[in-house]
Parts: sequence; C-alpha cells; structure tokens
Amino acid sequence: MNETELPGIRKAIEALPREQRRALLEWLIESERGVAVAEPAPPAIRKPKPVRRPAAPATLRQAVLWSIASIAVFFLLDAAIFRSGWYLRYLAPDSTTGQLELNVFWLRHTLPGKAPEAAVIGDSRVAEGFSARNADAGAGDRIHFWNLGVPGSSPRDWYYLLRDGDPDHRRFTALAIAMDRYSDEDGGENPSNRMSDLSYSVGRLRWSDCPDFAESYDAPELRRTVLTGCLFRGVTLRRDVQDFFAHPLARFRAAKAWRNDGKGYIDGYGGKPEDLTGLSVDFGTGAVNFPPGLKDWQKNSVNGFASSAKVPQTGALTAYRKLWLGRILDLYKDSPTRIIFLELPGGPLPPPRRETPARFIESVWRRPRVTVLPGETFRDLERPEFYADGLHLNHAGRPIFSERLGAKMAEIAGSR
Amino acid sequence: MLFTTLNFAAFLVVVLVLFYALPKPARRYLLLAASLFFYMAWNVKFVALILGLITIDYFAALWIIRRHGAPRRMALLVSLFANIGLLGWFKYANFVRETFLQLAHPGITVQPLDIILPLGISFHTFQSISYVIDVYRGEQPAITSYVDYALFVAFFPQLVAGPIVRAKEFFLDYFNWRAPSGEEWQRGIAMMLTGFVKKLICADQFAIAADRYFANPQAFPGLLPAWSGTIAFGLQIFFDFSGYTDIAIGVALLFGFHFPENFRRPYLSASVTEFWRRWHMTLSGWLRDYVYISLGGNRHGRARTYANLMLTMLLGGLWHGASWNFVIWGGYHGAVLSIERVVWGRGEKRGLVRIPLAILTFLIVNIGWVFFRAKTLAAALFVVGQMFTRTAGELMLTPIQIKLAVATLAVALAEEYGGLLTRLTVSPAWVRTVAVVMALLAIELFTASDQSLPFVYFQF
Repeated sequence: MNETELPGIRKAIEALPREQRRALLEWLIESERGVAVAEPAPPAIRKPKPVRRPAAPATLRQAVLWSIASIAVFFLLDAAIFRSGWYLRYLAPDSTTGQLELNVFWLRHTLPGKAPEAAVIGDSRVAEGFSARNADAGAGDRIHFWNLGVPGSSPRDWYYLLRDGDPDHRRFTALAIAMDRYSDEDGGENPSNRMSDLSYSVGRLRWSDCPDFAESYDAPELRRTVLTGCLFRGVTLRRDVQDFFAHPLARFRAAKAWRNDGKGYIDGYGGKPEDLTGLSVDFGTGAVNFPPGLKDWQKNSVNGFASSAKVPQTGALTAYRKLWLGRILDLYKDSPTRIIFLELPGGPLPPPRRETPARFIESVWRRPRVTVLPGETFRDLERPEFYADGLHLNHAGRPIFSERLGAKMAEIAGSR
Repeated sequence: MLFTTLNFAAFLVVVLVLFYALPKPARRYLLLAASLFFYMAWNVKFVALILGLITIDYFAALWIIRRHGAPRRMALLVSLFANIGLLGWFKYANFVRETFLQLAHPGITVQPLDIILPLGISFHTFQSISYVIDVYRGEQPAITSYVDYALFVAFFPQLVAGPIVRAKEFFLDYFNWRAPSGEEWQRGIAMMLTGFVKKLICADQFAIAADRYFANPQAFPGLLPAWSGTIAFGLQIFFDFSGYTDIAIGVALLFGFHFPENFRRPYLSASVTEFWRRWHMTLSGWLRDYVYISLGGNRHGRARTYANLMLTMLLGGLWHGASWNFVIWGGYHGAVLSIERVVWGRGEKRGLVRIPLAILTFLIVNIGWVFFRAKTLAAALFVVGQMFTRTAGELMLTPIQIKLAVATLAVALAEEYGGLLTRLTVSPAWVRTVAVVMALLAIELFTASDQSLPFVYFQF
C-alpha cells in the first residue's frame, strides 16, 4: 500500500456505518495489543469459544432494573440469614456476640419459676466472680438469681441485652449493675469508642438502631465503620462465619450443646482454683512482688492492676455512663424492678482510691427504685487469697461475694 | 477515595444518576467535576498539578498542529519536559540524589527529601505523553475543547491506577457516545464485582502471607517459605492490580466507555514473552509504541534489538518505582525475554507442552517478584538464595490460602477455555442474579481484612 491510497481508504472507512467503524477499530487495536513489548508477534492468545447469545438482549433499562433487583435479593438473603435469628443460633458460643446472644436466648427460653428473679449484670468480673447458686443461698432461696455477666462487655452492651432479654422490663424483682468503680475517672480508653461493643451487640441491633448506635461513638472515623457493621451484620460476624464454614458440624454441635445446657455449665462453675497469696504491690512505683509459681496470665493481669497511670480527665466516662446506664434506668423507670448499683471489689489488694467525683452515681442515687450500695460494701474482699488474677475473684472469693450480694439484694427487694 | 469503600459506592451512584439525568451536553462537565472531586478526596492541592499538566499538554497539542518545523518540535519537547520532569521530580528525585550522594560519599546515610508522590502521576503522565506524541506523529487529531481533553486525562475510573487509555480509544467512545447496551451494563457490573472479589477476598488474603514473610525474610529461612512467601506476593499483586482495573473497566462501562483490557490471565502464560502480552497490557503497549519502537525496535539487527528490549524493560522497571530493586526487576525480565527469543523464537507453544512451560514461567516470574517486593537489595538476594537452598522450612500459605489459590486457578482455566465471565453476562437473568448475590455475600463474609487496604499500584 502506498500513501496515495490512504485518502481512498479513509473515505471508505468514513462511509462505513458507525458500528462497523467501531468493530474495525477494535480489531485494529486488538491486533496491535496482541504484540508484546518485545516486538510484533502473532496474536496467539486462545480466544474463548463463541457464546450463544439470548434471542433478545436486555435493554439498558432492563439491565439497570435487574441490577437493582439483584441487590434487593442480596439484602433479602442477608436479612434471612442474619436478621431472622437463624444464624444467631449457631454463633460460636465462646465468641463475644455468642456469649451475649446466649444470655438473651436463655432469658427468652426459660420460664420464670415460682420464686421471684433477680439478675446481676456486668463484665468478666461478674461472669467469673459471681455465682447465681451462691446468691440464691445467700437470699435463702427466696429469690432465683441470674448471672448476666459477659466478659469484656460494657454498659452499652448491657442495655441491648436487657432491652431484648427482658422485653417487658418486669421479669426481675431486682437488677444489680456491677461497676468496677463508682468514680468517673477516665482511663486510657474512651469507652464510647470501644469497637468491641459492636461485636457484642450486633445480634441485638435492629436496622432502626444503627444510626443511633453509630452516633454514640465519639470518633467520626469510627461512626461509618460501625454503621456499616451494624447494617450488614455479616461484616461484623465475618470471622465467626469463616470459622463456621471451616468446621460446620462441630459448630452446630457446640452451639446446640450451649443453648441446651450452657446455663447449667455456668451455674455449676465453681471458680478458678488459683490464688495470689503472698502478693505485694507498691502502687507508688508500680513494682510488684509476685509469689512463687504464678502463671504468665496471672502476672500480666496483676501488672495491669498495679499500673495506675493518670490520664487527662475529659469527662468521657461520665458522659458514657450517663448515656448508657441512663438508658438502662429509662428501660426500667416504669417497672417494679429495683435497680441496684454496686462497686465491685477493686482487686487482690486495696488499690489507691483517688478523690475523683462519682458524677453519674451522684446523679442517680435519689431516683425512685434505685439503690446505690456503699462503695465500701465489698472492699474487705480485696485480698490476694480471694483473687485468681488482678481482676477476678477465685473459688474462695466468689461464694463470699455472691452470698453477700444475694442477701443484700434480697433485703433491698424485700424478699428476706 | 478507594474503590472498595462505601464512600465510593455512594459517589458512583450519585454520579451515575446525575449522568443519565442530565442532558448530554452537560454530562462532560459533570464527569470532569466528579473526576476532580474524586482526586481531591485524596489530596486537594495536587489537583493544581494535574490541571497544570493538562493545560500544558492541551496547548502543546494545539501548537503542534498549527505550527511547522522547530516550533512544533519545541511544543513537543515542552510537553515531554513538563510531564517527565514532574514525574522525575516527584518519583525519582530522592532516588537520584541518594545514588549520587552515596557514590560521592560511600557509606553516607542520606536523609530523603520530604516529597509526597501525587496519586496516579505515573499513569496520567503516560496517558498525556502518548496523546501529545500521537498528535505530533499525526496519528491523533488535537482536541480543541479543554474540557474534553481534561476529561480524557482525569476521568476518575482510570485516573489513579490505569488502565493507561490512549486518546484514540477514549475519544472514539467520547465523540460517538451512546448509552451502554443492557449487555454492556451487565458486563460492567460483572467486571466490578469480579474486581471487588479479586481485591477484597483474594489479594488481601494473600497479602497476609506475603507481608508476614517479606517483613523479615531472615526469620523464615528455607526453600518453602521463600517460594510460598513470594508466590503469595505474586498472587497478591495480580489480584490487587487486575482487581483494580476490572473495577475501573466496569465503572467506565456503566458510563458507556470501553476501556482496554489490562490483564488476561497472565499466570497461564507458557513463556515470559506471552506473560508480557497478558500482564499490564496497556503499559506493555505503551512501552512498545513509545519506547521500544522509538528506539528502533527490531529494525537494526539482533544486537540492537536485544539492547532495545533490555532498555525498554529497564525503563518499565523504573516506572514501577525508584529503587535499584525495580531496575533489577526490569533488567531481569529484559534478559529473560532476550534469552527466550534466542532459544524459542517468537512463536507460542500449543498443546500439552504448555502445562510444564506455564509452571516454569510462573516460577521464573516469581523469582522476579522477589526484587519487586523485597525492601532492600540485600533482602531480595537473601530470598533468592533461599529459593535454591536444601533446607525445607515452613510454608507461609495457610490451608485456606492454598485452597483459594487452587480455586482461582480453576476459575482462570474456566475463563480461559470456556469464557466463564462472558457466558455469565449473557446467561438467563436468574443465573446472573444468583451470581451477583453470591458475589456480594462472598464480599461481605470473606473479605480478608477488616480495614480498607489501599491498592498496591497506588504507590506507583
């Protein structure tokens, strides 16, 4: 071909219909692209077999509608799996979500007995350090106690557990809320930004809860993540689902066993056998003198207990407590349930107590049907022989704590 | 704004709705504004840089078609100087400075200059350079509308990490714009979902093993960790980059633009030459047209051909990053391409012989990835040394990752020999719906990382 032929070729191409021009150009580009960086080479990539096309291809409008419909089907299927309650039945029993969900399941599927019921809610210090059976005994078996402690949980999670586990807010004659301390001294972490709360509560969060739940986080960058995790439960339960697929039969068995017998396992639990006798701590320097034979998990926990670095006080804990403990109080404001706040024993040794105001407690103690136990009530249990580690009462400490709390609650609730 | 975030999903829906709601003449303004907003979401001030380059190249192209002789060449040089100069400053200033200072004062520790690499600069400068050179060569008419040209450079699906779209490809769609057909829309959705699955499920999963190994290869001595850690990275970078371009191609299709294919199952290649026909095809094509052929290609004898090939691949390596590791990676591929040409010629192998050749090619390519991924040259040499040691060591890939690798190989073979994705896009609506729902559920439940990890090629 010489250059004089070019204008003729151009005219011929211009005369072609647009579709043919496009096809020609695509062919040209394709044949150019088939050449390696190295140099021209035959385009020898194997082409897929020709595809049989449907008789009437979809229009753009139909394709867009199909896209929207497909997304809608996804939402429906997602809801069927994660919002119908089906998957929640098969959560790993020892997972964060699983533990909270089991408590809700047992509350919903256990009919109240003849004796009035009371509950103690809190974190691992309650889950590990409170025995419902011992409390029953302390109350002279006139009240039946529930241990609603969920390790690692916080008042935000307790609110959703109680909202759904006790939907008419009349089940308990008394509900004790166990606080690690009454003082509102801020720790290192802003409690409103605890991402783990999403993991605990996700099974309880309805679509309508999601904006409010996300808004309760102070950090704007977390709010979007939380909102996504709340709207799409699968995102939050991803690890659990992956584990489920890895061992589905074992999961089915474990979940069923815990649903049926887990409350019995918990009520029959006697507490950890370890103790810390011989422990001493210099809270001024944070130096710890460990007794011989302690395990690493005990030492790590005691070190955490002994370190008491002061952080700038922002009022974050007060605001958090006012919001979430306030919501729990609002749940029960028109119910006969008496709300009892208690301060847990502070650890294996009496920790230094700073004079930080207990603003939340001061704001609620005059409310009707609210009782605040004196902070000193259980401080005599702050002894190494009653603790398995820096946080949790052991097999010797938990019966004493539980019986005394049971007796106290029965007395306040008027059943003793 | 990462493609894999809800922010981008919201942005895309809004732009799509507005695009189809607005009258045609207004759409280009919308797309340009959306593209600049997309870029500004990363860094506001670098929009000035991209607009500055667009302005220079726009006027340079107009100057080229309106002048003859020296002024014409001068316009080309100004454009090349601006593009390569800025790319050089932002990307290579520290590398060049460090190299010179270390040559002058061996053993010196050089503190790098505080230079932030503008996102996507390697991609949009290459796109601009190709436009101006094509105009200069008379292969592309100069674009007279500033908005049209700016949109070509800044169009958000390809702005950050390609594919590198040529002006003639873009403007063919642009000036003959028609709404995508239903089938094209479906293909766009399928491409996007494929890209999300590649990135979120595959790339981020293999990244766990690759990051663990390359964080400290000395901690994992032996043949198995060296190969499995490197293969994990080879899979990560493929799924990451091809995932990104799949999403880009899919998004562009929804707007009625047909971007060129960028990856065609490169790990099924039976030679490194074939690998480069299937890997980052738009960069390969760019280097071929604007470097290799400009250097003379294969028109000046064997020795010159190999030299051109080597130089092209060295530049390709350097394009990826400013370090000697990338230069070595490019040189390694240049050398392998030359050797292949001497041994096998240019023809492609067919039949069962492809199986062992594909395995061999995969291993050769993965040796190259060591230089691409290792933090230092010493670390790279250590890893390569471990690949040929007799000590076994610990496998870096978990059983789940191995199953995933096998599953993706099966899908790649199904696509290669059965056109899986193409068949899916024209299958009955219920089949497509099931596929979409399964893909969305997989993304929801099997995303490997809890955080949105940036795409690997963003750093280039």
